[in-house]
Amino acid sequence: MPFISLFKRRTAEGGELKKDRSHIRVGIPKFLNVWSTHRFWIGFLKALGIPAKNIVFSSDTSEEQFREYGKGRIGMDSCYPVKVLAGHIGELLTTKKLDIILAPMVYSLPSFLRGHVVDTLSCTRVPMSVENIKAGFLKECNEFEKHGVKFVNPFVSFAEPHLLPKQLYESLKDALDVSYEEVERAVKKGLEELKRFDSEMRKKTREILEWCAQNNHPCILILARPYHMDPGIGHEIDVEFQSLGYPVVWGQYLPTDKDLMDWLFGAEIEAGIIKSPFDISDVWTSSYSSNTNEIIWGAKFAARFPWITAVVRLSSYECGMDQPTYTPVQKIVEYSGTLYFKFGDLDETRPSGSIRIRVETIDYYVKKYSPHIIERKLKRLEERKVPEGFGVIPPPRNASTST
Amino acid sequence: MEVIQQYRAYRPRPLKGEERGKVKIVYGGLTWKHERLIQGALENAGYKAEPLPEIKRADLDIGKELIDTGACCPTTFTAGNLARFLKEKSEREGREGVKEGYVFVTIGACGPCRFGQYHESYERVLENLDFKDFRMFLLDLLQMEQNEGGLEITMPLTFGLVYSMFLGDLMTDMEYAIRPYEVIPGETDKVLKESIELIYDRLKNRPSRGKKWGSLLWHVTTPYFVKVLKEVRELWDKVEVDRLRVKPRVKITGEFWLQTHEGDGNYNIKRWLEQEGAEVIPPPIAVWMDYLIYLSLWKMEESREFVEKFWLKKAVIKLLLNLYHFTYNRLRKALNNIPNTLPPQEELRSLAKPYFHHFLAGGEGYMLIGKALYAHLNKHAHMICELSPYGCMPNTMSIGAMQAVLGKYPDLLYAPIEIKGDAEVHALSRCQMILTEAKKRAQREFEEALERTGLSVEDIRNYEDERPELRKATYKVPHYGYAGTSANYVMHVAKLMGRV
Repeated sequence: MPFISLFKRRTAEGGELKKDRSHIRVGIPKFLNVWSTHRFWIGFLKALGIPAKNIVFSSDTSEEQFREYGKGRIGMDSCYPVKVLAGHIGELLTTKKLDIILAPMVYSLPSFLRGHVVDTLSCTRVPMSVENIKAGFLKECNEFEKHGVKFVNPFVSFAEPHLLPKQLYESLKDALDVSYEEVERAVKKGLEELKRFDSEMRKKTREILEWCAQNNHPCILILARPYHMDPGIGHEIDVEFQSLGYPVVWGQYLPTDKDLMDWLFGAEIEAGIIKSPFDISDVWTSSYSSNTNEIIWGAKFAARFPWITAVVRLSSYECGMDQPTYTPVQKIVEYSGTLYFKFGDLDETRPSGSIRIRVETIDYYVKKYSPHIIERKLKRLEERKVPEGFGVIPPPRNASTST
Repeated sequence: MEVIQQYRAYRPRPLKGEERGKVKIVYGGLTWKHERLIQGALENAGYKAEPLPEIKRADLDIGKELIDTGACCPTTFTAGNLARFLKEKSEREGREGVKEGYVFVTIGACGPCRFGQYHESYERVLENLDFKDFRMFLLDLLQMEQNEGGLEITMPLTFGLVYSMFLGDLMTDMEYAIRPYEVIPGETDKVLKESIELIYDRLKNRPSRGKKWGSLLWHVTTPYFVKVLKEVRELWDKVEVDRLRVKPRVKITGEFWLQTHEGDGNYNIKRWLEQEGAEVIPPPIAVWMDYLIYLSLWKMEESREFVEKFWLKKAVIKLLLNLYHFTYNRLRKALNNIPNTLPPQEELRSLAKPYFHHFLAGGEGYMLIGKALYAHLNKHAHMICELSPYGCMPNTMSIGAMQAVLGKYPDLLYAPIEIKGDAEVHALSRCQMILTEAKKRAQREFEEALERTGLSVEDIRNYEDERPELRKATYKVPHYGYAGTSANYVMHVAKLMGRV
């Protein structure tokens, strides 16, 4: 069937593919910053001719996964989100019948805060964890060779997208028999996919925030690292709040539209305190880390947005990047009168029972104080033009807000 | 809570030009030798300077009380150390005197690790001690500038700091190569102190050759520092050593602060190893700077298609590297090459390549693996003692990667020690277990060398009587393929005697 074969050998962009890769199965461990870049990898691999059904992610993190597939592979003491990578790789290696395991070493990220920050690096453990955990599968014998799987771990710096084709080509040329041009096209496609996904998520978050404004309803912002969306790491704390009727939004996907930014940050830009809405230098001078920068910015957003009346901070045990931020983030949020709660050292114990008790306590405070918080924050913004969709109706004084 | 303002980060009051010479610059984080020499470089540039007090165990407790929970060991120690300094100075000079009379200058940047955010913890110290008016300046490694002219990074100051680092490293190497073999206990420390004071004096009083090109040319070409070191060598010439003491050589690797440190912050592990019968190979700070320059070169090479005037820039960096190594080796030579050479970064990268990508920065990066393999394969050390601070993000990752290295090289004696500040006995006992095996290897090597040469200890002693210069601390014993100093010494004496 030459016609079908020709069709198959074209990428989504129409460029020629060097060979048919429709039979290749690629596994990606769902760990650390793969949680914020997975759309890139899907778009990238699809553009190289690997069908979506053959792109396999590992399961969400669980103790069972670690016990079954990761035990004995760890050679150091580290934070839980790094340790669990052993279970993810072990699961892919053992159960998914793959040709390739792709575990990218994500060095830097394509943050929306680029420009007014020094850099957008990943936590140092994010890229390093791959070499670390890989060693656990090599120390006695090469487990990848034993299973007939190629382990590919490209070093990728998303903050320098011009380097991505070279970095990925060098790493994948033998495993996938790809040409540089193919990789270059696939990178472009992957970045478009990622941008589209992020944009959709921000749009969705804006809709939630607009709904809160129109219904004068408090909203909870989760400030955490992308991998806390993994139920096995974030302990589904967001779900607990949702089950109590609170809309929950994540810091990573807050809207960045100009009208909203003007409303929230315009006065400070005009006063010369910050250069743009995405400038965090007024509160955080060490703006090297992408995730940290976004957490700080999320705190600033929450401090100004009226219907985010509570911020819930999540942090895993021994998170070195979070440690210096605890006080600044709390202060950014609390100085504005917004409620702040922190679930720190997650995973030090199995905290499901204690989480429920704390969620109930937080619920009490959010119910009690939200009307006053909304009113006070709206008052600070009353001189500024309200963005479309937020249809602000000033809440009646001392009104209670049901959730 | 009724609050209306927005939070803003700490901003220090500026240090003005006219304050220079009145306000004292406070700094810390290195060995007492490096800090004393830095003081000389700063004073030469017209500043008043004072290193922070020596780190003590109590600093850990003070740090824990004042900064956010979960900090790594170096952050906690150094934050506590700053706090103790402020408290003690306040008691003596009053709070106002401290606020106006001192500024704390610390290195920042380096992004990926918490190191780039240390100052956030120092800010908690200032805040919690009600010292928000105290001035703390963060020197970004890439942007060494300050506003208002109070702290001006000039060419003489920069070169003064580079030479302080080189000279501090070389004296540290001398110290650790000689102390385990000194015949009169305490003599090394005495001569070391005299040497440091001599170099401090010369750094402080080095001639002025302007602030730019004249200074650059002078510092690059001058024999001034070589002459100083020749005077230093004369001091060390008088130290008598006994190289027939069989001692395992232990190479120290690990996270920058912890491996460089000499004090309670790392259980004083280098001195402890010496007390346990080892010869320690300390890590020079110059290796770290060499590593940073190589990283920038390789990063530029990776994106060569996008770098304007790539070949020119590469040539400039290569020239800089050659000059760096030339200067270091020139200074080593003045001490009869007793201090170690800088390990070749290209080779370290290549050795580490199967296990750790060279762009993974933080901790020691690829150097942790590269240095361990380099020392092991080239027989420079019997054992690697790797120091990792509790809570260190990057170093724990390269330690994990060492699993695969040890799988391939099971005879590499590797002691990774996590240092928390407390739990000292536990950490040292782990180190001692590996050290026991290293001692056996050193002894086996020594006996093998004696057997190979047909010499006895008595023969060597008799020969030493004829050639007393062999017992000088500054006598250079070449490397004959043994890790141990005593085994190499046996081979060397045998060669001099015409036995091999």
